[in-house]
Amino acid sequence: MVASVIPQFVPAFYSSMYSTALYGGLIVAFIGLIGISMEKRDIQVLILTDLVGLAMLIVVAAVGTDLSEALILPGLVVELAEIMAISEILISREMRKKDQDASFAPMPLDINMEIMTTAPNFIALLLIGYGVFLSGFTGGAVAGGGIVIYVLSRKVRGLPIFVLDGVGAISGISWCLWIIGFLLFFLMPKYWLLSLFLAALGLLMKVASKIGLIGILMREEYGRK
Amino acid sequence: MLIEDLGGSIMGTIPLGDIVLYLNPLHIFLFVTILVFTALIAISRTETQVEAMFGSLDENKVAVGKKEFKQRRFLAIICGLATAGAMITGDLFNFTLFMALIGIVNIGIVSAVKQVDVLNSAYQYGLIAMMCGLPLFGGAAMILAATGTLSLFELATIPASPMMIFGALVMLIGVCGESGIAPFFASKAEMFRTPGSPFILIIHLSSLFIIVRFVEILLTIL
Repeated sequence: MVASVIPQFVPAFYSSMYSTALYGGLIVAFIGLIGISMEKRDIQVLILTDLVGLAMLIVVAAVGTDLSEALILPGLVVELAEIMAISEILISREMRKKDQDASFAPMPLDINMEIMTTAPNFIALLLIGYGVFLSGFTGGAVAGGGIVIYVLSRKVRGLPIFVLDGVGAISGISWCLWIIGFLLFFLMPKYWLLSLFLAALGLLMKVASKIGLIGILMREEYGRK
Repeated sequence: MLIEDLGGSIMGTIPLGDIVLYLNPLHIFLFVTILVFTALIAISRTETQVEAMFGSLDENKVAVGKKEFKQRRFLAIICGLATAGAMITGDLFNFTLFMALIGIVNIGIVSAVKQVDVLNSAYQYGLIAMMCGLPLFGGAAMILAATGTLSLFELATIPASPMMIFGALVMLIGVCGESGIAPFFASKAEMFRTPGSPFILIIHLSSLFIIVRFVEILLTIL
């Protein structure tokens, strides 16, 4: 805590305890997060999440002024309300759970189109190349269309499709690029070109990799029927 | 940075004791826009989601029941009002509280859905929102410890110290997690696949407005 904002009548011992309490809170939160990363059962994860919430109370209480006390009360209430809401969701989900499974991109329809057997790879390559050249949202949609044609053509010709379960993760990481570009654009206008390219390429990859989500969607829809 | 450089010239202040609201064109624009959207959501009717079925020409209609519909409309209006409050506030304390309110109302909007996958993602989002309570409140408390105030009007005049920058960055993580943008988004994207569209859209709209406002706050205090 900065010395100039502490009133004179506060003993030096108490004001020196601030950093200790702050580190203590952060260590408690870190232990909670390690526990969450190792635990697989949902109810245990929920209980460990509450530990992180308690660490928040330590960090806020370490300041020890009336304003920080005013922060503690809503913090506590919000944590309680959230844990109640999430446990309600958990109960409601467990009551509805059923086991369902289906193959990737199930297609009861036959797609007997000439375009699927003549030169699909070339068309897909052309679309992806043009999409990368366009960049941004439009480019992502065009490149995603190219990937759809490639996957569909393999399916129609009876070739094996390799399933990438991590495609959703690519989408997420590239969205991070977009957010970083957005923030840099405001915080450091000097590097506008860098942030522009970060945003454009992030958006390209995000939209293009949404095709992975479409595959998962198809699987789920088929399972529902 | 000076407040005048960011949102245009200050049109006036509303002193309410410790809390000093200041008005400038950017805040008023964001405030009015979100209120208009909230009004639209308040008077709109929920839509019936029509899903095409694979392999046939049938369609699958998913309608929302009257009771669930009322509950969601109420929560959506609360979410809109909380976002409007976060837009106009001149105080980091109030911003933190509005942000926490938006986080919990978002969980409430999707928790009434009856699809397993949506409930699953709502559960994941709820966990992230709870964990991000730590950086959100903790970051605000660190800024308070470094400067002794949470009023944006005064924070703008105090030169940034390393601890203040650290607190602001920690708070950025908290805001990202509570509103569910980039690094924490994956579960939120799943939540949009529910019937009853207008009430779901307020989740996305509020997160967009919040990130714009928080960038402005970051620029003001750093």
